[in-house]
Amino acid sequence: MQLTRRGFFKSVGAAFAATAAFEVAAASPALAVETSKEWKLVNTEEHTSICCYCAGGCGSLCSVRDGELVNLEGDPDHPINKGGLCPKGASMFQLRNIVDPETREVIKNPERVTKPMVRRPGGKDWEPITWEDAIKEIARKVKDTRDATFIENEGGMTVNWTPGIASLGGSQENSEEEYLILKMMRSLGVVAIDNQARV
Amino acid sequence: MTSHWCDFQNTDVILHCGSNSVENHPVSSKWLNKAHERGAKWIVVDPRYTRTAEMADIYCPIRSGTDIAFYGGMYHYIIENLIEPNLADYLAGKEVPVYNFEYLLNYTNASYLLDPEYSFDVESGLFSGYDEATKTYSNHSWHYQTESEEQWDTAGDYAWAVAPGVPEFTTPTLQHPKRDMTLQDPMCVYQQFKKHYSRYDIETVCSVCGMDRQTLELVYETYTASAAPGKAGMILYALGQTQHTYGAQNTRAMSVMQLLLGNIGVPGGGVNALRGEPNVQGATDMGMMVNEHPAYLKWANTTDRSSLRKWLESQTYSDGYYTNKPKFIVSSLKEWFGENATVENDYGYDWWPKVPSKKTDQDYTHISTFELMSQGVIKGYFNWGMNPCHSAPNASNVRRAMANLDWLVVADQVATESATFWKAPDMSPEEINTTVYFLPCALIYEKPGVILNSGRWLQYRYQAVEPWDEAKPDYEMCDLLWTEICRLYEAEGGANPDPILKTKWDYYIDGKIDPRPVAWALNGYRVASSDFADEKVDLLSGYSEMAADGSTACAMWIYSGFWNNSDAPLDPAAQPIGRRDNDDKSGLGLYSNWAFSWPSNRRILYNRNSADMNGKPWAADKKLVEWTGAKWDLVDQADFVAAKNGTPVPPNNKTFFMLWEQNGRLESYGMEDGPVPEFYEPFESPVEKNLLNGALSSPCMRFAEYESTKHGDASDYPIVATTYSVTEHWQTGGQSRACPALVEAMPAQFVEISEELAAEKSIKPGDKVRVFNNRGSVVVDAVITKRLKPMRVHGVTQHLVGLTHHYSWAGVFGTEAATVNDLTPNVGDPNSFTPEYKAFLVDIERAIGGAK
Amino acid sequence: MAEKAILFDTSRCTGCHACQIACKCWNNLPSPTGLNENKFSGTHQNPPDLNGQTRLIMTYHESEGTLPTKTVQWAFGRRACQHCTDAPCASICPAGAICKDEATGMVTTDNSKCVACQYCSTACPFDVPRYDGVQGTINKCTGCVDRIEQGMPPACVTTCQPEALAFGDRDEMLAEAEKRLEMLKQRGYENAVIYGAEEMGGLHVIQVLKYGVEAHGQVANPTVSPVTTLTNLMKPVTGVVSGVTVLGLAAMFGLAAGYKRDKVVYNAETEDTISLITGDVVKHGDGQDTTSVKDHILENLPGKKGGDHE
Repeated sequence: MQLTRRGFFKSVGAAFAATAAFEVAAASPALAVETSKEWKLVNTEEHTSICCYCAGGCGSLCSVRDGELVNLEGDPDHPINKGGLCPKGASMFQLRNIVDPETREVIKNPERVTKPMVRRPGGKDWEPITWEDAIKEIARKVKDTRDATFIENEGGMTVNWTPGIASLGGSQENSEEEYLILKMMRSLGVVAIDNQARV
Repeated sequence: MTSHWCDFQNTDVILHCGSNSVENHPVSSKWLNKAHERGAKWIVVDPRYTRTAEMADIYCPIRSGTDIAFYGGMYHYIIENLIEPNLADYLAGKEVPVYNFEYLLNYTNASYLLDPEYSFDVESGLFSGYDEATKTYSNHSWHYQTESEEQWDTAGDYAWAVAPGVPEFTTPTLQHPKRDMTLQDPMCVYQQFKKHYSRYDIETVCSVCGMDRQTLELVYETYTASAAPGKAGMILYALGQTQHTYGAQNTRAMSVMQLLLGNIGVPGGGVNALRGEPNVQGATDMGMMVNEHPAYLKWANTTDRSSLRKWLESQTYSDGYYTNKPKFIVSSLKEWFGENATVENDYGYDWWPKVPSKKTDQDYTHISTFELMSQGVIKGYFNWGMNPCHSAPNASNVRRAMANLDWLVVADQVATESATFWKAPDMSPEEINTTVYFLPCALIYEKPGVILNSGRWLQYRYQAVEPWDEAKPDYEMCDLLWTEICRLYEAEGGANPDPILKTKWDYYIDGKIDPRPVAWALNGYRVASSDFADEKVDLLSGYSEMAADGSTACAMWIYSGFWNNSDAPLDPAAQPIGRRDNDDKSGLGLYSNWAFSWPSNRRILYNRNSADMNGKPWAADKKLVEWTGAKWDLVDQADFVAAKNGTPVPPNNKTFFMLWEQNGRLESYGMEDGPVPEFYEPFESPVEKNLLNGALSSPCMRFAEYESTKHGDASDYPIVATTYSVTEHWQTGGQSRACPALVEAMPAQFVEISEELAAEKSIKPGDKVRVFNNRGSVVVDAVITKRLKPMRVHGVTQHLVGLTHHYSWAGVFGTEAATVNDLTPNVGDPNSFTPEYKAFLVDIERAIGGAK
Repeated sequence: MAEKAILFDTSRCTGCHACQIACKCWNNLPSPTGLNENKFSGTHQNPPDLNGQTRLIMTYHESEGTLPTKTVQWAFGRRACQHCTDAPCASICPAGAICKDEATGMVTTDNSKCVACQYCSTACPFDVPRYDGVQGTINKCTGCVDRIEQGMPPACVTTCQPEALAFGDRDEMLAEAEKRLEMLKQRGYENAVIYGAEEMGGLHVIQVLKYGVEAHGQVANPTVSPVTTLTNLMKPVTGVVSGVTVLGLAAMFGLAAGYKRDKVVYNAETEDTISLITGDVVKHGDGQDTTSVKDHILENLPGKKGGDHE
């Protein structure tokens, strides 16, 4: 299912040098994205995606080398944007990686949170938590809240409500995820379901 | 959108009203520039001179919140200048080049006779049927008069409705409406419409909207030129229209305008809602809202949808395509509950929660959820990539409400304001007992999946890289959670576990949750020959194969056909959604072989309207469909019945086949707050009197009774404020504030102030400004600009300011103490429950010390 | 390859900033990451000017409208290297770090050769090259010659949604500019002009300026700075080599500009760089040297690295 749009880009005679540079970079704390003046897209594989901002549906091309994102720009074959991207689309690379102004190395975006966290009642800060524990705790809370607030029957009518839980969001997700979330919430009895379309 | 992005190039007149698409949907600029350079005129109606306005030929300022007056004025202009002077000629058989009477008479309900009880009272500002106690209408008198009745032929065309396996229901009766094709009957829609908008003369409209008469006349003249047969005008709108207490009526107003001008269903025309979130089209299609069911069906409720039978009887249309609704709902249930859904148990309908829907019931939509949190009703809350502490109206009220939660789960990429509400500058963490879980999610290019754009195209995102660290796609989180919840209920029991344990959840490939089997569910499949557990699926080629007898399953009938290749069900590239042929064979930018557009790969909705009653295109060079005399020549997929049982169906007037009467509605009984758009002032208005009727604000406005709304008067807060986005940022900034290049390009949120107001308030460039009202007070940077000018409203000078809203206390690269939505009112539209972010009252002053 | 040019049609530009950002992303240029480190300019123009990490900015200029249907005019502009045919930055650069790309006409940079003298900044009639204190080099638009060599347009052009930017053979871009100009005149934009056809011997960024030269922040009649002229006059004295070989004129220029610097000569044939003070080869052209010319110069400077103002 892996889709490569036009196969590999090969640089003019710089392939080896750039790969070597990459290997050096990979061993350092910076990411495996070297900033040498060699052809940036040497030995990259292209994956098409769709922009994560407005609903233009602009196509983007993610250039990946050895598992790491090297570049992201508009998909020139896409009929809507024909390679163009707006400022937000053009900066989608930075959602994952940014250039450190001091070292000029490409580093993981420090604003992004990539591990689960929990904030306990009365707590002034986040604490780390494992995925396993987080899921266990959330499922327990969902069940307790559902069991405590569930209304199975009202005035002789089967209603199967869980008024105690609400779910918000979905416009950021892919459609399959929207369906799974909707299915989970509705089957739990949640009626307070809304997403960005409401506002 | 009824149209799509690439169709913008085909228009003759562009009207931006309530949209700043060049900034907020930047790809639109590519296609608008093409139209412009082909000679299209470009009009921007906006309170501010935006980047879109800079591109246009005509810029017409408008007071925020007065759009219906503007559209009503346009109807008045069309009636006075195009219809009335020419109607007699047209009826006498003369050619009228300036106006498309054929469209109006045949494709809209202009000729339909309304119930004799129908009325509008100017003095009270109310339509017939209003109930003061509940502030709601009964729409009884808004219906048509009936000419004759017709029953479904359950021995012929509708035999499927009584077949074995189909749930029992009483089939609907088709009530053919009475019509007057001369438009002279006083109760015909046209005559009532003409009477209704006779009040919307140009002087009144200018006074209400704060417009200059000459400019407004030029706007009307330029835009209504699209009424000529073969000409197309396009309205582009976004949240500038919808975020009002009459936002849904604004949308209706644009639809009515386009129907009057014959602009719906033609290339370069349409009513084009520019959707703001990457997959908000998908989420809307998915019905991720209280009362909605996937694919524009309605969710179960406690009144007219309290059983499957009631659902079928209240929802199935008597004619048109929605006669098929029983197939859609049964297939949906079949996909939801799998083998547990049988005809004997109503396909599991009762396991679905029924939304409380009596007029006296508590509302559960977005704004109300915070009231319910304050009351302790809602105790647990999921935020999936949404940030209500920043984006919801009256945001400080939201923070306080959320502090009552037992638990909150936030799935996002960054620690948003919602994830950190307990850390907000005005909160005391030690007093807040909410347990908050933050679940790190994968970025779009770190996971595969389906996304829809505003033009209804389903496109595929391939995974490029693995998520960082422990971040996971939402589908994986959801599966982990669901699996654990099911385990708990299986192990321990609990409140009615059936709805949970009977739910079908088998979307795994090689034992791992996978979005591709979910795509099968969305497309639909034949039940008997599919077995997800075995990774086997027999996909439907399209929704015409769906049945109401439980033999087919489909979560989303409108998507059917997007993933229909059973030979390679795991390969998105082998499915219609994966198509990448960008050759434009239509010459109109349809790109029919690129991806898939719902429904059935139609690129322009209602495209039957692009041709006349004989099936000949209005514009010969922009052909979508054409009747050749023997069959339909289809450039786009037919959005009408082009053939029946393999036989071509000759042209008729059924051009809107998603409505039972199959004609476009100038007047509609389907709205909560009136059959035609009527102008009301916003919840907070700078004027004391509505110049057009006796009601100041909408009689059906929602949530104004909540104490938290804290209405402000013009005497205290004389300035009209509106909120909006800049192109460099996006919504609450969770993503864009995490990109240093975007923070650098737009490092602050600001209030735009006219030079006149700045002088009045002694505000200078570089100053900080305090913007305040009853709900909040925020300090932001001043942008003093010529692009915003005071208006003359009701004959007096009216100031207006605009605020961007992308920053708040969270963030690593850029933060601000101010949350602009602290100012916006938590009141809503009675149809959509959408908040009024676009027009409210404030006052401003230079901030002393200028602290952030 | 024929001479190339970027065409910028301000009438199609929406001022969206995408070019500015695509430039940063393609070229791995950083933006400030300290909390609230960016200061808001009070307008849409941020950062307010080019800097060591920013090679391209959009400019915004508001004034009263000239058309009856437009009460305001908001002129969007592009501020970046214009890629002059007679590029004073290239001719003055003592280290061969800025040179004309003969194939395309673009004025490119090679940071490994830059000695941070910043003569180019002084020489540029558009005030474009900026000093990057972290790298210790000059930063300016390179025309994305790396992309051009691969058959791709520059990053700013690729990303431009409204197609205000185009890239192609210079004569074709000029012809297209003429067509656009005519269209604008017909629409009533009487002050519209083409910029870049003749300026500085012909620029490789051709602009269609909807509201005229000044409104879009462009320099009317750009000329070579007197300092550059002086330095060029002195070239024969120090024995300049022809072609792309550039002689470092640091001492001479230093006198003119009030600086005192080491002198190096770059030999384009051997690609060696030679110190005029010691006569040593500072950097060999075979790539064996790990130290850069810059390091050599910096070591020999009285101040710290790139200590131009110290």
